[in-house]
Amino acid sequence: MKAEGYSALHEFWINLRGIPNHVYRAMFRGGPPKTDRTRSSFIFGNVFLHLHSVRTHLWSLRWSTTMGLGIMTTAAFLITLVTGILLMFYYKPYPDVAYQSIKDIHFIVPTGRFMRNIHRWAANVMVVAVILHMARAFYTASYRKPREFNWFIGWGLLVTTLGLSFTGYLLPWDQLAYWAITIGANIAQSPREITDALGITAWADIGGLQREILLGSDKVGEEALIRFYLLHVMILPLALVMLMAVHFWRIRKDGGLAKPGNADEMVAEEAKEFYPVFTDAPTKTYHLAAVVKGKTPAVGSGPEHTVPSMPHLFYAELGVLMLTTLICVALAFVSDAPLKELANPLVPENPAKAPWYFLGLQEIVSFSAFMGGIGIPMLCVIGLGLIPFLDREKEGTGEWFGGPGGWKLVKWSVVVGFAGSIGVEAFAIHFGWLREAFPDIPQLFITFINPGTVLTAIYAAYSIWAVRKYNSTRAGALALFTCFLCGFIVLTVIGTYFRGPNWDFFWSPSDWGGH
Amino acid sequence: MNKNKYLLMVSSIGVFLLLAAAAVSENFMKDWHSIQGNAKTTEGPIDLRLRQIVNPSLKVTDRCVTCHVGMASGEQITTDQKVGAAHKPVVHSPTEIGCTTCHGGQGQATEKDDAHGNVHFWTEPMLPAKYAYASCGTCHTPLNVPNLPTLDNARKTFERLDCYACHRLDGRGGTLRPGGNVTGMEGPDLSHVGLKGYNAEWYAAHLQKSRQATDPAWKTSFREVAEADRSALKIFLDTQMGAPKLIEAKAQFNSVGCAGCHTVGSFGGDAGVNLSLSGYKDPNQLNFTKVPGDHTLTNWVVQHFRSPASTVAGSQMPALGLSDNQIDLLTLYTLSLRRRTLPDVYLPKDRVRAMRFGEREFAKDGETIFTAVCSSCHAADGRGTRFPGLVPNPSITNPEFLQLASDDFLFQTIRNGRPGRPMLAWGDRVNGFKEDELRAVIAYIRNLGGNIQAQPDAKPQLWATGDAALGATLFASNCSGCHGKNGVGADGPALSNKMFLSSVSDTFLVGTITRGRSGTVMQGFGFPSPIRRALAPAEVESIVVYLRSLKVK
Repeated sequence: MKAEGYSALHEFWINLRGIPNHVYRAMFRGGPPKTDRTRSSFIFGNVFLHLHSVRTHLWSLRWSTTMGLGIMTTAAFLITLVTGILLMFYYKPYPDVAYQSIKDIHFIVPTGRFMRNIHRWAANVMVVAVILHMARAFYTASYRKPREFNWFIGWGLLVTTLGLSFTGYLLPWDQLAYWAITIGANIAQSPREITDALGITAWADIGGLQREILLGSDKVGEEALIRFYLLHVMILPLALVMLMAVHFWRIRKDGGLAKPGNADEMVAEEAKEFYPVFTDAPTKTYHLAAVVKGKTPAVGSGPEHTVPSMPHLFYAELGVLMLTTLICVALAFVSDAPLKELANPLVPENPAKAPWYFLGLQEIVSFSAFMGGIGIPMLCVIGLGLIPFLDREKEGTGEWFGGPGGWKLVKWSVVVGFAGSIGVEAFAIHFGWLREAFPDIPQLFITFINPGTVLTAIYAAYSIWAVRKYNSTRAGALALFTCFLCGFIVLTVIGTYFRGPNWDFFWSPSDWGGH
Repeated sequence: MNKNKYLLMVSSIGVFLLLAAAAVSENFMKDWHSIQGNAKTTEGPIDLRLRQIVNPSLKVTDRCVTCHVGMASGEQITTDQKVGAAHKPVVHSPTEIGCTTCHGGQGQATEKDDAHGNVHFWTEPMLPAKYAYASCGTCHTPLNVPNLPTLDNARKTFERLDCYACHRLDGRGGTLRPGGNVTGMEGPDLSHVGLKGYNAEWYAAHLQKSRQATDPAWKTSFREVAEADRSALKIFLDTQMGAPKLIEAKAQFNSVGCAGCHTVGSFGGDAGVNLSLSGYKDPNQLNFTKVPGDHTLTNWVVQHFRSPASTVAGSQMPALGLSDNQIDLLTLYTLSLRRRTLPDVYLPKDRVRAMRFGEREFAKDGETIFTAVCSSCHAADGRGTRFPGLVPNPSITNPEFLQLASDDFLFQTIRNGRPGRPMLAWGDRVNGFKEDELRAVIAYIRNLGGNIQAQPDAKPQLWATGDAALGATLFASNCSGCHGKNGVGADGPALSNKMFLSSVSDTFLVGTITRGRSGTVMQGFGFPSPIRRALAPAEVESIVVYLRSLKVK
């Protein structure tokens, strides 16, 4: 029933003029986030934002708690996503043509060179950040109950990130890409070291099967390229996004980021700067009865030291996001992404090196293909995944280097980690290994006793010692994880800077000779 | 919190500034923007845009014309000659086949250093300007190229007979008119007749015209040409393809016997590497430690000719003592060896004839065959060579040798070679010598030795009799020092070689052992010497019988 005095045409005119306001209010039904209630509904009313919890503890917002590494990883991913989509408009995933399309992107596409540089740098930042983020989550014991599954998801994200980086590495189809992936595929084939030694390769060729699944062929060619392209632009990003969604969701469901028991006292000073926790007291009574079981920090304590996520958490996230963008863009400005000659199967690179984050692995592969390619990495990967289930203690959750042992143990572990890896490497480089003294020794011997396994054994022994000394699985985990990080750094550095043609040791690239 | 807000603001400003700087520099401040900005036509400034020449069948996408605007079709730049200069008139239109086909470089690039190809990781930098004609070898394979003396003589004949009076060739000539008559007297331009063909009966036609013509110019300007001069003219005209320097370079190649060790195209030896793609060598893979100057393929090739071992580790190629001019020509030829595969529509006839029908790239006269293939091992005068570290190569113009060696023996030797020794089977190998070529080179070798014909020999091939055991003893003490134990060959030729023994006659063997070879290390064992006694004829025959017995093994 229309009111008296209004014609439908007049009503139409009023509706037309009201469009901007009505559209705005239809999209943002909660209204501007000026009260705590509207700040809350801003978040939980938005499909993207409601991954966040509505309120965030001040402890979580401190820079020293997380260093923003998780958001940095996410930011790097978003940057690679955007620049990657832009690159996809011009890149063609077929051998030789791929290389030409990269040349065109570099020379012809306006700011194509710049976008490609950003993409490359953001990818590297992402790998570095994800490793540092994992270290942070470990050292703050944030994997403890109830966050074990989130650690697991994060571990899955690490593997997917490395997979994304590896698949992207092949796409330029230059000498660097082609031979790096040849190395990677041959590492995938390394179970043959065992099956050959046992003489069973003819009917159980796991290595060959793995390599063929990876490459879609028996050599690196057009099949591998389209396969890697598909993985890189569709399958792995989708997997990553889904895992990320679960990862963020879990943070909320697990009661926010892990905090030490005395987190409230620690932030008491900062909390005083804030306006009263609630801007308006509830005017309605709610009949809400839910008995929630569990010991998570969110249960049993009030929201006194939490602040609305909108705007505080978002400023923190955006700040880290922009900082990451700045880093990536600045690096892209000054340093070009590499592009060597067109891939030539007849001219192997010597040395042919995997991407940098796999060079530590390639170093161990040089001692034993199976142990370096499958054995030790599997051990690391499984070990990392199982940390929350092997360390179920409670002490020190949320604190840096929390738990028995603490910073002192970590310091000593750094020493052991570096000394162990440098020592084993120096021995192997200077004296050679078993084959020098016993040329006819069976390969199986070397598979089980080589610098990689020796180093692993040293680290394992040290961490067992730590478990017993401190009577704590956390201490053992601290020791082992730190040794692992140090060993990873040392091996990667050696593989990057000190290995030359034929994987011989050189103090400097100027000694390589030839070129 | 304030800290995060500040972080956000500072980072955002930084990102914005960097992105703006990038947007401006990438879209407005590239080198080609300013270069094109300076160029003007008579109707005003030109369109500022990327320009390229695209030819998919040749896989060419050349953006050189973004800066070298005048070389693309249709642009008439009046200012800035560097940009506006049109391409010199050339046979093949740059707008059809692109720029990099002839000049090398990186066509897809739009920055100067990248485009000129003088950057890391680009395998084909631009050819130096003075070697520009080397790129004709990308598609063309000049055929029937003689050696340098013959080519020189041919060129001088053409000049001496003043064909330039009526014919234009490579931009010279065709302008002088005897009698001052300037209308319609020119003969055709001969610059490309090597490729396009010419009337084989030109001489008869010229003679007829000069006898029947009423024009005084014809009557006075053409006279009889001697047979030898006509052959020289034929050689000269057959090589005309608008690239005289390249032909001269190939003639140089055919003068120092490179084909004796190296294969180019479908013919050559196998002691050295196949050279067909040596013009495409990747400079980044080469050893420049002993190469003076810039790290370019040209400099490496020059140093390689001076001293092969200094540029290629473990090279067996001896230093040939070439002059600078010879090295310059050979470098041009080496750079021209860039025979890439081409789509059928772009295959020139000479390439088809060389690769599919195996036509000779060098001329088939005896002298050229000898200098092109044999002279590297047997020396230009046929006296043989001795390079350090390699098996010595025997003299083939030695008078005693030529007297004893029948034409048939020479024929078999060259055709079948010496398996296991450096002498290849030049008739048997891929695209090997045919009978007429073998006969021609044998005739030349005899000529080179002083026109020495073989002595007639009425005896059968095998006539020597004697005691093989005695021969073995004598051989061990007299011969094996140079000819190796059991005659397998050392400094001296391999006497137990199957091919040698099946083609050589006992007359040759007895004669050589008895008389020796003057001027070589091979003594006449029939004559006394201060260090050993002379061998009796029966003893010589025993040695021959012993040698024959080696063949079975």
